[in-house]
Amino acid sequence: MPNPTLLDITTNPIDLNALQAGVTTPRDGAVVIFTGTVRGETGAARTTRLEYEAYAEMAMGKLSQIAEEMRKKFALIHGIALVQRVGLMAVGEPTVAVVVSAGHRGDGAFEAARFGIDRLKQIVPVWKKETRPDGSAWVEGDYLPVPGD
Amino acid sequence: MHIQASGIRQLRQLNMKIKLFATLKDRAGTSEIVVDTGRPGQPLTVADLRRYVCETCPGLAALVASSIVSVNREFAFNHDTVSATDEVALFPPVSGG
Repeated sequence: MPNPTLLDITTNPIDLNALQAGVTTPRDGAVVIFTGTVRGETGAARTTRLEYEAYAEMAMGKLSQIAEEMRKKFALIHGIALVQRVGLMAVGEPTVAVVVSAGHRGDGAFEAARFGIDRLKQIVPVWKKETRPDGSAWVEGDYLPVPGD
Repeated sequence: MHIQASGIRQLRQLNMKIKLFATLKDRAGTSEIVVDTGRPGQPLTVADLRRYVCETCPGLAALVASSIVSVNREFAFNHDTVSATDEVALFPPVSGG
């Protein structure tokens, strides 16, 4: 049975239940779901919404690359889902999901999910613009790619 | 007439389209710029391309050095070469997730 790999860049709301169902096979007893959500309060600062833009063709290629990297580093995992939502999102809404299934939690499921989201935030060509009460500004990333990325 | 026609074809080959995203797109006011890259047949590096973007779009110059270049949907580095038919993009460090 092939291992499921679900990759998406979408304006649709993220359906975590559907992703879990999509990556879980009868061999799996552990599913790790990471979802990033729009944070409304950062210390005293307030965010009212986020708007995401993607270079979609390249982003899909990078999601595919990350899934391969996850399988290389964490050879025992089975299903993978990597979903980045784009467009306008409100506080509390999921913006991204990384889902990993495995036979057991000790098979690297947590670690693979952590690696997946960290990698996504490094190399997937997506940018977010933050709207605060006093205006909007693009959030600056802080990672510069190196050869092999 | 023949010489003029081939001259025009040569000019068309000089221009590279570059996709822009995020702050670069906002500042340029467009999602794609066309950059004059000089004479055909001369190898063009990513470093050269950055210089040509600064010359063609002075409003972007302050952002170019800290921006990322991709060629055919892969990250590209200053010593890499680029050809006229490549898909090129220029964008800030990513902030997805």
